[in-house]
Amino acid sequence: MTTKIFEDKPGSYALLNGDEAVARGATQAGIKVAAAYPGTPSTEILEALAEGAKDLDIYAEWSINEIVAAEVAIGASMTGVRAITSMKHVGLNVAADAIMTAAYTGIEGGLVIVVCDDPALHSSQNEQDTRYFAVHAKLPLLDAGNPQEALDMAHKAYEISEKLRLPIILRLTTRVAHGKARVKLGEFQRLERKPEFDKDSTKWVMVPANAIRQHRVLESKLSEAKKESENSQFNLVEDNASDIGIIGSGVGYYYARSVLDTSEFSWLKLGFVYPFPSELIKTFASKVKKLIVIEELRPYIEENIAGLKIDFMGKNELGLEEIGEFTPDKIRTALAKLHLTTKPENLQQPPNLPPRPPVLCPGCTHRAFYYALNRIHQSVHCENDKCVGCSICEYACSFEKEGIFNPLKSRIRTARINATNLAFTCRACIDAPCVKACPQEALTQSKQTGLIKVDEAKCIGCDWCIEACPHGALNLHPTTHKPLICDLCNGKPKCVSLCPESALSLRGKTDDKIVAGDIGCYTLGFLPPLKAMQTCLCMGGGISQAAGMIHAGVKDKVFAVIGDSTLFHGGMPGLLNIVYNKANVCVIVMDNSIVAMTGHQPTPGSGKTAMGQNAKTINIESIAQAVGIEKVITVDPYDLETSIQALREAISYEGPSVIIAKRSCPLLIQRGPPREIKKSCNGCKVCTETFGCPAINQTGSKAEIDTALCRGCGVCEEVCPFDAIGRKK
Amino acid sequence: MKPKLDVVFSGVGGQGIVVLSDIFCEAAMLEDFDVAKAEIHGMAQRGGSIVAYARIGARVESPLIETGKADVVVGFEVLETVRALSMLKECGTVIVNMKLIPPSYLSRGVKLKSREELLELLKAKGLVHEVDGTGIAQKLGNTLVVNTILLGALSALPEIPLKAESFQQAITSRLKEKYISLNLKAFQLGRESVQKVKK
Repeated sequence: MTTKIFEDKPGSYALLNGDEAVARGATQAGIKVAAAYPGTPSTEILEALAEGAKDLDIYAEWSINEIVAAEVAIGASMTGVRAITSMKHVGLNVAADAIMTAAYTGIEGGLVIVVCDDPALHSSQNEQDTRYFAVHAKLPLLDAGNPQEALDMAHKAYEISEKLRLPIILRLTTRVAHGKARVKLGEFQRLERKPEFDKDSTKWVMVPANAIRQHRVLESKLSEAKKESENSQFNLVEDNASDIGIIGSGVGYYYARSVLDTSEFSWLKLGFVYPFPSELIKTFASKVKKLIVIEELRPYIEENIAGLKIDFMGKNELGLEEIGEFTPDKIRTALAKLHLTTKPENLQQPPNLPPRPPVLCPGCTHRAFYYALNRIHQSVHCENDKCVGCSICEYACSFEKEGIFNPLKSRIRTARINATNLAFTCRACIDAPCVKACPQEALTQSKQTGLIKVDEAKCIGCDWCIEACPHGALNLHPTTHKPLICDLCNGKPKCVSLCPESALSLRGKTDDKIVAGDIGCYTLGFLPPLKAMQTCLCMGGGISQAAGMIHAGVKDKVFAVIGDSTLFHGGMPGLLNIVYNKANVCVIVMDNSIVAMTGHQPTPGSGKTAMGQNAKTINIESIAQAVGIEKVITVDPYDLETSIQALREAISYEGPSVIIAKRSCPLLIQRGPPREIKKSCNGCKVCTETFGCPAINQTGSKAEIDTALCRGCGVCEEVCPFDAIGRKK
Repeated sequence: MKPKLDVVFSGVGGQGIVVLSDIFCEAAMLEDFDVAKAEIHGMAQRGGSIVAYARIGARVESPLIETGKADVVVGFEVLETVRALSMLKECGTVIVNMKLIPPSYLSRGVKLKSREELLELLKAKGLVHEVDGTGIAQKLGNTLVVNTILLGALSALPEIPLKAESFQQAITSRLKEKYISLNLKAFQLGRESVQKVKK
């Protein structure tokens, strides 16, 4: 963050992003209280305000979630001081309950609700368009198209808010919020307001009799608001006496200006978009022969202009979609269709390169725990392209288990199919068909490890399990006629350690359990190679999704993964609900005591507030116990063995349970000693293909560790089956 | 009239791309340029592809650059430089840090081109300045200054309409006191790495 945001130098310039510009504009307006929950791309608004809070004499807090933040800001406004709350678009859904009715009560001190939409979902789960929320809530909305507008609108919004006695929504999109520009700073207004609350209950108690009256009041405020939008400085006409007029809002308007010769067209930049300035539009439209509308996401302006019975060319005619964000390339292509500019040149496809998608960072605690989750059930895996069919695994197994070199008595079998060599052994299937097939109930499967056990006293050697195995992995002992089933040699399979081609390795499973996910860095656990979770809906949604699956009749153990901040935000009701309604969910709390994804904002578990003051540290174990969870285990995610044990314990436990995987985000603590690959590496790829730390890669015959990226967590040492990773000497 | 200049910065999360593009814009602002830039923060703090666009001129309306219109691409790593190449105009300039960071996870069947093959792709498109940023940084004793070395190299290109002093001033006002002299040294070595080639 630049420290120039709050410099008292009116008229000077600073390089600010849209969020920082909002923070500046709101402080210019003399706000007293700011509250928010982090969410990309809105986070930097409160982050800036919190950093400047002490000098600016304002109060700033990271609230538990967006509705709490909105309520805090509303409460402050009720005492007559100016307040701000900021959130990402989906945060507005959480805050909606408070905001919808705040439109009825109205405000005392100016109140601005900043909402950052995320067209193209750079870091979100949907693409909603907040302009429609403004219509739904009947609240005026300003739509910023660049950081300068964000600053000016944030400042001016307080004046409008107090004039109309209504909260104002200020909307940004990602390219505005996270785009930086040279921004001209304004003057600080010094407001000396004493907070006073008017106890007139008819104003604030929204029981039906009061609320219906306030609904009428809201309607009359809206007709005042329409006058404001008709005359707003943010609805800017540039009349170049052209036949073609272009109306736009948001950043798309500026893309259009950058690909056209601006002097050849007349322009209308809409900034005050709800209530819709229809008279202004009619006047503008009457001066041109052709009207073009450019707006990202939904056709809000188009629908309003259509309602005025004015002809225009919009998304349909221009071939622009409601999906994703605009780019100058898209706008040029669209306008070239109308022969207003040249087509984009040089649009060659980039060469086919391996992608570098977002990944969990080196040293990430989430990766370590997901790895443990994938290792609850494991089996011996054979890489076909390495296997030469030498059968040494069969000899190793039979000697280890039966004391004799006899492939017929091995639990692993090699085979040659066409040009491929293979080795098969038990895969520890979920709900193993062999167990089901046994007429004598001689086979049982361990819930914890998935391993199959044979009760030789019950077994009659009928062969049905062999027939049932879909992998051809079971065999009957040539003399006892009992099935031979791999037991992984207590976790250190002899066949793996003796395979001369390193074709065999012990690997975990990614598809043997249901894991409902949630929103945070740990969402990335769905990606290969971990593939450790399968859902991500909304903040705190995973726990209850898991419960729903169980009530639907799913028999497997269902896990729900959630971060500490997400649990505080929206997961706690779900946690209480699985206790009350008896859902056998194992909740895994990835607790790094910070909101890592949005840039390390403090949580109730951090012991610090947004303004850096000490706070009571809230312990998740106590929360889990308080809502009635009887099985609560805390583990260090870097300790794989203990984590796997805890997971196996939870699998066999009947009833809701909580495992807390607790360790600081590695980006916040000093690096440990970097690791290196030892000479003994046999290139088995377990580290790169099942663990996937970005600091480890293998392009040749052995793995390599990039010491500049390595955080020195050492988890890869535990992962390597051949003890080939150690501290760098 | 101020000349227009569009620069794309491309690399891997954690390499200091956002800070560097900020300093570039701040240097331009010291010489009264209008500036706009775009970047994305959020998911994946380390290890994902990161691109920042910086545009300077008398008046800049759009924070995004059109494909095939960037004057310069500054690549912090070879693979990501090639990925950003479609942004570069014909006969544009590329500054590339010679390090290759392979992606952590390669899907089966995907082959990673060698560094030399990737460099060939760059040379086919524009004028390429190869900078051993990682090597120079190691000599300076801090691998985190690669970005400042690349900024030095960028500042020495003939198409950059900004004075070295503006960059130095922007570095000084942006960084913490204890890192300033190290970074000014890195900036200078970066400048020289390009100037040497020019002679």
